[in-house]
Amino acid sequence: MSNQKKRNFQIEAFKHRVVVDPKYAEKTWNILEHAIHEIYNHNASGLSFEELYRNAYNMVLHKFGDKLYSGLVTTMTSHLKEISKSIEDAQGGLFLEELHRKWDDHNKALQMIRDILMYMDRTYIPSTQKTPVHELGMNLWRDNIIHSGKIQTRLLNTLLELVLKERTGEVINRGLMRNIIKMLMDLGSSVYQGDFERPFLEVSAEFYRGESQKFIECCDCGDYLKKAERRLNEEMERVTHYLDAQSETKITNVVEKEMIANHMVRLIQMENSGLVNMLLDDKYEDLGRMYVLFRRVQDGLLKIREVMTSHIRETGKQLVTDPERLKDPVEFVQRLLDEKDKYDNIITLSFNNDKTFQNALNSSFEYFINLNARSPEFISLFVDEKLRKGLKGVSEEDVEIILDKVMMLFRYLQEKDVFEKYYKQHLAKRLLSGKTVSDDAERSLIVKLKTECGYQFTSKLEGMFTDMKTSQDTMHGFYASHPELGDGPTLTVQVLTTGSWPTQPSATCNLPAEMSVLCEKFRSYYLGTHTGRRLSWQTNMGTADIKATFGKGQKHELNVSTYQMCVLMLFNNADRLNYKEIEQATEIPASDLKRCLQSMACVKGKNVLRKEPMSKDIGEDDAFFVNDKFTSKFYKVKIGTVVAQKESEPEKQETRQRVEEDRKPQIEAAIVRIMKSRRQLDHNNIIAEVTKQLQSRFLANPTEIKKRIESLIERDFLERDNSDRKLYRYLA
Amino acid sequence: MGIQKDRVRFNVGGRIFETSSTTLANAGRNSFFGAIFDENWTLQSGHSDEYFIDRNPDCFAVILDLLRTGELYIPANIPEKLLYREALFYGLLDHVRSAKWGQFDGNRLRLSKSITGQAPGDGTAIRAGPDGGCCVAHGSMVHVYDWMLEEHAPITLDYQRVNDVGWIDSQNIVISVCERLGRGDGGMGLFSSSTGELRDKFQVNHENQVKSFTAGALSFSSDYKIFSSCKGRSNEYGIGVWDQVTGKQIDFFYEPPGWSLGDADKLQWLHGSNCLLVATLFPRKDNCYISLLDFRDKKMVWSWSDGGAPITVDEKRVRDAIAMEENSSICVVNEFEDLGFMDLRSTAGTIRWSSRSRLMKGNNMPDEPCYPKLALHEGQLFSSMNDCISVFCGPEWALTSRLRRSYGGSICDFSIGGDRLFALHSEDNVFDIWETPPPPII
Repeated sequence: MSNQKKRNFQIEAFKHRVVVDPKYAEKTWNILEHAIHEIYNHNASGLSFEELYRNAYNMVLHKFGDKLYSGLVTTMTSHLKEISKSIEDAQGGLFLEELHRKWDDHNKALQMIRDILMYMDRTYIPSTQKTPVHELGMNLWRDNIIHSGKIQTRLLNTLLELVLKERTGEVINRGLMRNIIKMLMDLGSSVYQGDFERPFLEVSAEFYRGESQKFIECCDCGDYLKKAERRLNEEMERVTHYLDAQSETKITNVVEKEMIANHMVRLIQMENSGLVNMLLDDKYEDLGRMYVLFRRVQDGLLKIREVMTSHIRETGKQLVTDPERLKDPVEFVQRLLDEKDKYDNIITLSFNNDKTFQNALNSSFEYFINLNARSPEFISLFVDEKLRKGLKGVSEEDVEIILDKVMMLFRYLQEKDVFEKYYKQHLAKRLLSGKTVSDDAERSLIVKLKTECGYQFTSKLEGMFTDMKTSQDTMHGFYASHPELGDGPTLTVQVLTTGSWPTQPSATCNLPAEMSVLCEKFRSYYLGTHTGRRLSWQTNMGTADIKATFGKGQKHELNVSTYQMCVLMLFNNADRLNYKEIEQATEIPASDLKRCLQSMACVKGKNVLRKEPMSKDIGEDDAFFVNDKFTSKFYKVKIGTVVAQKESEPEKQETRQRVEEDRKPQIEAAIVRIMKSRRQLDHNNIIAEVTKQLQSRFLANPTEIKKRIESLIERDFLERDNSDRKLYRYLA
Repeated sequence: MGIQKDRVRFNVGGRIFETSSTTLANAGRNSFFGAIFDENWTLQSGHSDEYFIDRNPDCFAVILDLLRTGELYIPANIPEKLLYREALFYGLLDHVRSAKWGQFDGNRLRLSKSITGQAPGDGTAIRAGPDGGCCVAHGSMVHVYDWMLEEHAPITLDYQRVNDVGWIDSQNIVISVCERLGRGDGGMGLFSSSTGELRDKFQVNHENQVKSFTAGALSFSSDYKIFSSCKGRSNEYGIGVWDQVTGKQIDFFYEPPGWSLGDADKLQWLHGSNCLLVATLFPRKDNCYISLLDFRDKKMVWSWSDGGAPITVDEKRVRDAIAMEENSSICVVNEFEDLGFMDLRSTAGTIRWSSRSRLMKGNNMPDEPCYPKLALHEGQLFSSMNDCISVFCGPEWALTSRLRRSYGGSICDFSIGGDRLFALHSEDNVFDIWETPPPPII
C-alpha cells in the first residue's frame, strides 16, 4: 500500500481511446425522433434530408445501430397507437375512409423514414438479421391497427357487408374497397387470407347455398343456369375490381360447388326444362350455357354426356324399330340423317365441338342403327333413290354433302358386306336401266367407299362400270360389222361379267322371232371377237321401246321391259290371249309374268291391255285383249313394272343367305392370313383377331368363326395342338 | 422536375459540383440521390440553389463520374477502401462493384490481386461467392473475403477439419467437416458470410435417430436443396439431402454395396436432368466411381467405374470429373492433365482420352504436385495443373489460354463465380484473383 502511494507520480499508461461525447447518441437520436414525429404530422417541409441521413449514418457507424433501431420501433409504435385510436373513433361509413387515409399517410411516412435510415437498412439490418424498415412498418401496422381488438372484427364485418350489399344490387364504393383490400395484400398474403379471404369464402358459400336453394325451387333449368352464370361472372368481375387475382379460382369454386355441383342431377333431370327437353327443343343457348357451367365442375360433362347418350339411344331405338317407319326406307334414312344433323348442330353450337361428345354421339348411332337388321338395305335404297332422281338439279357440292352424310351412316354399320350386296343390286339396276342421274356422283360414292373399306370392297362395283363402257364399244363394233341391220329392230346388249354383277337366277324367256334372230347374230359376232366366252341372256333385266298403233289409229311409243315386250308382241298375231297361252308362248316365270301383266292391264293410264274379268289381280284364267281405247297425252308412254321396291320376305331370306355364304370364304381367308403370320395361336385370340380384321366389313359371329376353323382343320390348313386342344397351329 | 431544375449544384465538403438530375437518376431510387430528389423531400438547401453534403469531395468526384459514364476510375491518391466507404454512404456500393471488373471471359482474364493469408498448413478448397467474394478453407478454418477482398470473421465448426465449403447466396456459407467421434461434433453448418456466426447446424437421421457424421463434398440445387456426401458408422454411408429454407433433412440416398457414394470427392447438381453427379476418385478409394443419382425415384441412372479394369503401363487414373449437360457428357482429367470424355447417353461408358497432354510434357514437375481440377463456366472448360490453369473452348475443346503466376507453387484448387476466378496455391498460403477487365472504351 505504502509503496503504491509513493509511486503516485507514475505516468499513467497511454490509453488510445477516443471518447465520444456520451450524450452523442442520445442527441442524435433526438434529432431523428423529432424528424419522425414531424413526418407523421405532415410537417416534413422543415427537415433537411442530408442532415438526417448523415445523423442516421453516424449512429450506425459509431455502433449505435441497435439504439437507432429500437428507437424507431418505439416511436413508430406509439404513432400507430394514436392512429389506431383515430380510426376507432371514425363513425359508420367513415371508418373505411379513415383507415385508408391513415394507411396512405403511414406509407408515405414509412418511405421517408426509410430514406433517412437507408444506411441502417443496408448495413446494420442484414448483419444483425433484423427486419428491414419497410417490412417493420408493415408488421407494426398489422399488429397495432389491423389486429387491434376494436378494428379487426369491425373491418371484416364492414367488408363482408359491402360485398353482400353489392351482391344484392346496391352500388358500393369499389375504389375504396380496392384500396382496403390492397392494403391487406400489402401486409402479406397471410393477412389477406386470414383476415379477409377465408371468412369471405365462408360467407359466400353460405350465401350461394341459400340462393341456389331458392332459385332451384322456383326457376326452370334454363333460368337457373342463366342466374348461375350471371353470379359466376359477377364474382369474377369482383375479383378483377377489388380482390387478389389468386382469389378468383377460390371464389368461383365456391359458386360452382354451391350453385352447380350440388344441384347437377336435379338440373339435368328437371321436369319440362331439363337436359332432355333442351335437346328436344334445340335450345342451343341453354345447352351451351349448361356445357360451359358444368365443365367447371368435376364429372359435370360426364353427367350431360350420359343423359344425352341414353336419350339418343332411346329415341334412336324407337326410330329404327317403329314398324310404321319401316314402310318407307327413304324416309327412314332421311330421319336418321335429320337426327344426326340435329345433334351435330347441338355439339357444334352448344358443346364447343367437344370430342368426347362427338364420340358419344357416334357410339349411340352405331348402337341403334345396328338394332335394325335392315338398315344396310335401307341405306342402299336411300342412295338408290337419290342417285335415280333425288339429285336432279342439285349442285355438285350438295351432292357431295348428301353422299358424305350417307357415308357417315355407312360407317356406323356393322354389316358392311350386307350393304355392299344391296348396293350392288341397286347399282346394277340403275346402270342397266340407264336410270342413274350422274355418273360423277356414282363414281364419287364408290371412291368414298373405297377410301373407307379398301380396294377389295369396291373392285366389283368398279367392274360394273367397266362392263358398261365395254358394252358400248362392243355395240358400236357390232353395228359397224353389220351395216344391213340399219332398218330392223335395234338391239342393245350389255355384256356383264359374271361375278361382278348380282346374278339373279332367271329362266330365259322365249323372245319374239325378230329378236332372237338379232340376238343370234350378236352372239356369233361377240364370240367371234372374244374366244372362250359364254353368253347367256338375262331377259329379266332388259327394256324395249316398241311402236304401237291402237284402235283409232293413235300411235304411241311404249317403253316396256323385255318381258312386257314379249307379251305385247304376241298380240301382233292374236286379238285375245288367255293367261295360260301367254305363259306357254313366252315361258316367263309365273311371278314375273303376273307382275308384268298387272302393270299393263291394271294400272290406270298405262293399260294398253284389257283384262277379263276386270280385277286388280291376275288370275290363271284371265283373258287379255289389246285395249283399243288406250289414250295418252304423250306420244311416248313408259309402262313401268309393278315392282316390289323393298324385298319380299323370301327374297330377304335369300339375300341374307347369300351374305352368309359370302362371309365364309372371307372368314377363312382372315384365319389363314392371321395363322400364317402367327404360326400358332389359341382359340380366343384367333376369334379376337379375326373379328378385328373383319370389322370394317361386318361383325363376324364367333360360332361361325369356330365352324370355319373346324373346316380349315378338316382341309389340313390348321391342326390342333396335341397337348392343348385350344391351341391351333398353322400347317404350311 | 422541369427543365430549369435539371441542373443541380452540390457543395461537397466545400467543393462545388454541378451535375444534372438525369445523371443522378442513374443512382436509382434506393440511394442517397434517389431519396433526396423524391418529391417527399422538398429539397432543403441553405443557399437558394446549392445542396450541402458533408463528405469527401475527391471520392464524390469519382462516384459522380461513375454515374456519368458507368465506368470506375480510381486515382492513385484515393485508397480503394475510402472510396468503397463513400460509395456505401451514398448507397452506390453495388454500382462500384459492377463497374470494377467486366463480364467473365476465360480468354481475357488478368491477374488483379494476390492475397496472402496467415493460416498454417495447406489450403483445402477455395470457393467463389456469387457477388465476387470468396472463402478459403485451411484445416479447420474457413476465411471469408467479400468482393472488396476485406477479410471477415473466420468460420469454424467445432474446429473440425473442413472437407468442403459452398456459398448458398452472398450472405450464407455452408461448410462440411469431419465428425469428432463420440461427441456429436462436426457434420455440416450454415454460417453468415459477413459475421461468421453459425445460423444452422444440419443433422442426419437414421431410423429416426440423430447420428453424428462426417460431411464430404457439397452441392446445391436451384430448388433450395443441399446435397452432401456423408459417412456415418458402418452402413450409414450415402448422400444426404437438406432443405435450405427449413434446414431439415429431407432425403438420404444410401450407398449400394460395392459402390462408393459416402466417400465422394465431388458432387454436382445437374439442372437439366434433375440428377446429382457423384464422383469418388482415386486415391480416396482404390478405384474411381462416377454415378448420376435421380432422387425422385431413388435410382442410379448412370454409372461408371474403373474397378476390374486391367491396370495398364501408362496408367491413367481419373482425378476429377465434371458433367457437361449441354454436351451430354462427363469430362474427366488424369494426373497428366489428359482430358477424357464419357457419353452420358450410353450406360456402357468408356473414356475417350484426348492426347493433349503432350503439350505439357517437358515441364519440370514442381516439388509438391497437386492433382488437376476441372471447372466449367459458360461453355469454357478450365483445368488446373501444377501452377497454371488451362482454358479450353469450342466443340473440340481447343486449348485457348493459360493462366500462370510466378510464385505460390502448385494450384491445389480454383473456383469461378461472381465474374472472377480464384486460384489457391498450395505453398505460401496465397490465392490469386483473376478478372476480366471492363470492355474497352471504343
